[in-house]
Amino acid sequence: MNNIMKRFIRCIFICKKPKDIKCFGFFLPFRTRTGTMRLEKCWFCSSTVYPGHGIQFVRNDAKIFRFCRSKCHKNFKMKRNPRKVKWTKAYRRVHGKDMTQDATFEFERKRNRPERYDRHVAEETLKAIKKIDKVRVDREARHHTKRMKGKKAQVQKEAARELEQSIHMVKAPAVLQKEPSLTLAKVYQKQTEDRMVE
Amino acid sequence: MVQYNFKKITVVPTGKDFIDIILSRTQRQTPTVVHKGYAISRIRQFYMRKVKYTQQNYHDKLSTIIEEFPRLDDIHPFYGDLLHVLYNKDHYKLALGQINTARNLIGKIAKDYVKLLKYGDSLYRCKSLKVAALGRMCTVIKRVGPSLAYLEQIRQHMARLPSIDPNTRTILICGYPNVGKSSFINKITRADVDVQPYAFTTKSLFVGHTDYKYLRYQVIDTPGILDRPFEDRNIIEMCSITALAHLRAAVLFFLDISGSCGYSIAQQAALFHSIKSLFMNKPLIIVCNKTDLQALEGISEDDKKLVMEMKAEAMKTLIGQGGEPTNDERVLLTMSTLTEEGVIAVKNAACERLLDQRVELKMKSKKLNDCLNRFHVAMPKPRDQKERPPCIPEAVLEAKAKKAEQAAEKQKKLEKDLEDENGGAGVYSASLRKHYILANDEWKEDIMPEILDGHNVYDFVDPDILQRLEELEREEGMRQEQEADDDFEMDGAELTPEEQEALAEIRKKKRLLIQQHRMKKSTAESRPTVPRKFDKDKKYTSERMGRQLSTLGLDPTLAINRARSKSRGRKRERSVDRGDQNGTDDMDVDGNQPNKKLRLRSRSQSRSRSKSRPPYEVVPGEGLKDSAQKKKAVKLAEKSHKKRNKDARKGEADRIDASSIQIGFILHKLYTESCELSYPLLEVALKALKGLYGYRGESYCGLI
Repeated sequence: MNNIMKRFIRCIFICKKPKDIKCFGFFLPFRTRTGTMRLEKCWFCSSTVYPGHGIQFVRNDAKIFRFCRSKCHKNFKMKRNPRKVKWTKAYRRVHGKDMTQDATFEFERKRNRPERYDRHVAEETLKAIKKIDKVRVDREARHHTKRMKGKKAQVQKEAARELEQSIHMVKAPAVLQKEPSLTLAKVYQKQTEDRMVE
Repeated sequence: MVQYNFKKITVVPTGKDFIDIILSRTQRQTPTVVHKGYAISRIRQFYMRKVKYTQQNYHDKLSTIIEEFPRLDDIHPFYGDLLHVLYNKDHYKLALGQINTARNLIGKIAKDYVKLLKYGDSLYRCKSLKVAALGRMCTVIKRVGPSLAYLEQIRQHMARLPSIDPNTRTILICGYPNVGKSSFINKITRADVDVQPYAFTTKSLFVGHTDYKYLRYQVIDTPGILDRPFEDRNIIEMCSITALAHLRAAVLFFLDISGSCGYSIAQQAALFHSIKSLFMNKPLIIVCNKTDLQALEGISEDDKKLVMEMKAEAMKTLIGQGGEPTNDERVLLTMSTLTEEGVIAVKNAACERLLDQRVELKMKSKKLNDCLNRFHVAMPKPRDQKERPPCIPEAVLEAKAKKAEQAAEKQKKLEKDLEDENGGAGVYSASLRKHYILANDEWKEDIMPEILDGHNVYDFVDPDILQRLEELEREEGMRQEQEADDDFEMDGAELTPEEQEALAEIRKKKRLLIQQHRMKKSTAESRPTVPRKFDKDKKYTSERMGRQLSTLGLDPTLAINRARSKSRGRKRERSVDRGDQNGTDDMDVDGNQPNKKLRLRSRSQSRSRSKSRPPYEVVPGEGLKDSAQKKKAVKLAEKSHKKRNKDARKGEADRIDASSIQIGFILHKLYTESCELSYPLLEVALKALKGLYGYRGESYCGLI
């Protein structure tokens, strides 16, 4: 279904809040006061909400919750904490999976003061956005590799340990004493079978 | 007051309706239930209440009728006479009198019967008395029925009488039929009176209202009057006569000069003289109508003489009022309602005359003197003869003039005009950027993107963004160098391929164990815990043990021998072993599987899922709708045999099949029918049965 059409289906809903705040919400096609479009962040998973998508819930204390899709919306209604839900950005940040503080994030800040239009500034901004993006992506990748560093060694260590501890499952200890090499009895059996077939 | 508004009289019901109303009300509003078992006083009280209630109602209703209808002597004589003319005073009074008598009669009846009821000794007697009372009251009303109908008619007619206020300023219009009275009233008021060429179009009085000098005047249109002796007049004419007689009004006597009404001026003059007595003390104006057909000057001498006579009469009334020197215009007027010339003049003259008369009267009366004392109009006395017009300073005048000039000059072109020029609202959209104040005017029509690569551009806009970007890139460069330096990873000891194989094997075994454990756990509820002698899957054979030991690298022969020596040696096992040694069995489905382990596994009861299909996939031809249904069906099936399995009871699968019964019976038959059948033969047959059907076969043998 067209997401614009979806707009007309979701009209008004009522949500029960724990305390005495009684809330209601309504869906709006979001336009800023100047009449432009803005990309918002989903409150739950922190992904971008494009125009025409998602639901916006306005609580009675005038706090606005935007959701990118019904999954996030339903999770919110279930009162789940995004910091505990594995797939959200909030969780990832809190648990150190993703980069938290960086200079690249400082560039993108919502400014409420209007600036006078300047063509040069606009051009520069557009070019800068791309560069900043690249830098940010690189930094995130670096963060990721740093996080994953040492995994290989750990894996190998674990494998060695497992082998040492559970070798009795595939080769009896008595046999191991006699023959320290790790050639398995299965091979031995296969050989016997072949011999039988012959 | 009844005087003016006869619309407030309540409806008078007909006799029959009256009776119905009262009786139904009695039935509704009084208790209805009485039994002969009640105390006699209670019964009496019950019926007395009914009689009294009915009488009361009749009394009330009849009283309202009597009171609401106006008493002809108490109202204004104009209305009194009018009603007399219309309805005949005597009849009216009689009708009301009859109502009154009826009321009294009903009262008497009620009184008598209540007295009788006081001594009623049974329910039946009381009831009969009550019936009689009510019956008589109703008969009274029935007899009075025609009066009620008559009064109802009167009421309806009275409600439609025009509401004429006899005390206010009134102008009366009279004359022969068809002279133009109704046309006149139509012209000066909002009244919409019928105007037709035939005589007596107007059959009753009509009222219109008109204004003159901020005062409201009633204008009354009368039906035409014919010149007849008084006694011969019909009701319609009598209406006008009544009006003339009783209302203190200015009279406009209409004269048709052209004679197109059908009556000559002589006849009209005759009429005038016959009713001039009615014009006493009333300002009279003679109006010559229809001058468009015939001018006043153009009439014959005789007629002119007659008209002058009438004027003289009229002037008498004028003089009688303490008149001013005669002014022709105030007494004799000409007009034409068709061309509307002179109509207003007539109205003004009439109103003026009436007003003068009323003022004079008021002045003479005592009431006015009290009022006069209370107000006083003060006029400032002029000091001297100097003129003092309003004064506006020069500067103000000039400024005003300039402003007016500027307003006329400054015809600014509005956006709206621009829009209209370029095709209207739907076609032209105003350019809102026209008046932007930018560093460079070329930039006014620039389109800047709002969104780029999932970012809001406006969030990045910053005049010194380039600088910051440079810093960032520098930083990035430095960091990358650092990264290049310490970017190496310690590579730990890797496993040899042998070790890897071993590890893989370990992991496989572990996985298998876990899987089996899970299966066991999930079927624990529906799986029976049977002792090892009923080991269907053949998990605990010595062969298997041997195999497992050999995979571990140990020599199993010792262990197998020991196990075999210790075992009790069951037939079944051995027979199965034998089957295994032959290679294939008749019972073996997949004969080409040499490996016993695999064969058994395929026959095992454990969940033999097809590896290529997901668990609850519906195969077409299965008879199930979708995987959900299948899931449900499977669940139900499992549930149904869970308990039985746990108890290791006989279930549906352990059914006795017909064939086994048949064989048993056949044998039985054989035995019974032919006793010659040798016993050893039977024994062999039984042994065969046992062999075929196991311990079940024993039970059949038992049968035989």
